[in-house]
Amino acid sequence: MTETTAPATLPMTMVEMIKVAKDYPPKVTALSDISLSIPRGEFLFLIGMSGAGKTTLLKLIAAMEQPTRGLIEVAGCDITKLKGRSLALQRRRIGMAYQDFKLLTEQTVAYNIAIAMEVAYRKPQEIHTTVRDLLEQLQLADKHDTPAGELSRGEQQRVTLARAVANDPELLLIDEPTGNLDTTTTVRVMELLRRRHTAGATLIIATHDPAIYQGSPHRTLELHRGRLHTLNPGTDPQIGKGEQA
Amino acid sequence: MNFWLAVFRQLGRNLRQTWTSQLMTLITVSLSVLIFSFFYLIYCNMLSAGGRLGNDLRLIVYLEEEPGPEMQEQLRRRITDFERVEKIRFISPEQALDLFAGQLGQNRDLLTDVPSDFLPPSMEVTPLKNLRGLHQVSLLADFLDTLPGTIKVQYGQEWVERFYAFTRLLSIIVLLSGTLLVLTATFMVSYTIRLTILGREDEIELLRLVGATNGYIRTPFLLEGVLQGCMGSALGLGSLYLLFQWTLNHFSGPSILNIFSLTFLSLPILAIIIGTAMALCGIASHISMRRALRI
Repeated sequence: MTETTAPATLPMTMVEMIKVAKDYPPKVTALSDISLSIPRGEFLFLIGMSGAGKTTLLKLIAAMEQPTRGLIEVAGCDITKLKGRSLALQRRRIGMAYQDFKLLTEQTVAYNIAIAMEVAYRKPQEIHTTVRDLLEQLQLADKHDTPAGELSRGEQQRVTLARAVANDPELLLIDEPTGNLDTTTTVRVMELLRRRHTAGATLIIATHDPAIYQGSPHRTLELHRGRLHTLNPGTDPQIGKGEQA
Repeated sequence: MNFWLAVFRQLGRNLRQTWTSQLMTLITVSLSVLIFSFFYLIYCNMLSAGGRLGNDLRLIVYLEEEPGPEMQEQLRRRITDFERVEKIRFISPEQALDLFAGQLGQNRDLLTDVPSDFLPPSMEVTPLKNLRGLHQVSLLADFLDTLPGTIKVQYGQEWVERFYAFTRLLSIIVLLSGTLLVLTATFMVSYTIRLTILGREDEIELLRLVGATNGYIRTPFLLEGVLQGCMGSALGLGSLYLLFQWTLNHFSGPSILNIFSLTFLSLPILAIIIGTAMALCGIASHISMRRALRI
């Protein structure tokens, strides 16, 4: 059973957030009054200090958490209303690389990447080829059968990236992709992400590494104390611009 | 990859990761099924032996003197007015002596000098086949005892009472072992599934995040329970069959077992036991999932 997750007609806006707020009890406001529009195919940087709310914003878009207030639409679907099977299908359209990696430390590197494709009922041969290819691109080819727990943090970070892109998602949410990487590996990782963007994926990268976003032609938004500010409106010619309300 | 292939791969991983607790559950389910089916097998054989005994059941009414044709007719009428019976046969002292001599066989010479009216006249009452309950037989015996000229009514009362008491006791044991089967299958499977779920909590969380449906996550656990029920009950019944064959081989020949003519459980009964164990274990894993996997 292979399931088609893409709708018949693709909406132009990939992510639409209107007056979104997220509070954590008892009195922590992680995000307040966030309005954001991200067109399909945009490459967006989300920057801010630790604790600014970048991860919370990505979790809301990935439907890992529910907003306290506001509307969030991803690819035309109000994700706050999705449940069960619809939510599962929506999540297959999103690839997320987590800051805490979320790796199964006792499982092999290959399984950690393959799991996203198995869930989408991809063919075993296709899974095998894709996993090999991604490991090659991220210089982890020799770690195919190594338990993920035995890798260094830099290697684990690359595995979580590989898993995020493995299923060719329409939307990629990358949380601190280069935090544990050396310069050479950072370049390789960014190259991989750029290729996905060129292939049509919408990318949101949360980072506080200026080396990645400074001098970039892509839109850069800064989160500060739960509020969003435009730092660089971007010069991408092929996409529309999001607007901070 | 289709849904079922993915589900069976997950099932294989579950079984590999928690094989020790899986083995313990399998043994527990097997033992429960073995205990239950062992008593059930004895109970079934006792019932069928009881049925055969019921077929051969006769009430012998010893009379003071041999009744004439009119008295015989009157006795017949009074008995059939009280309870419909299959057959009433009057036995004179001479016929009784002949029957006794026949039973003695080669030793019938012992009766050479015995007078022909040595044994009392009697009446043999064969109850209807549906007159099965001990209470009904006892009521009929009490009535026959009140008939004029009756000395004694005999039908192996003590033996029959013991037999029926033992059958009643067995039926209670079957019920108790059935309850044991239900409890062990439910609790052990539920416990094992919960252990598996706890052991794979991170993976289940990740599966949710990468877009696994509830069916994708839950079906392997459900199959795990059903498989435990199927394999456990098959193992238990297989052990019972071996035990049964061993008993037949070692106790064949002229012994008490020949009276019972032992038979193993029929195929439909075996299928019902296996099906029930599978259903119970499936329900147990479902309950466990409902508690642990709130998706």
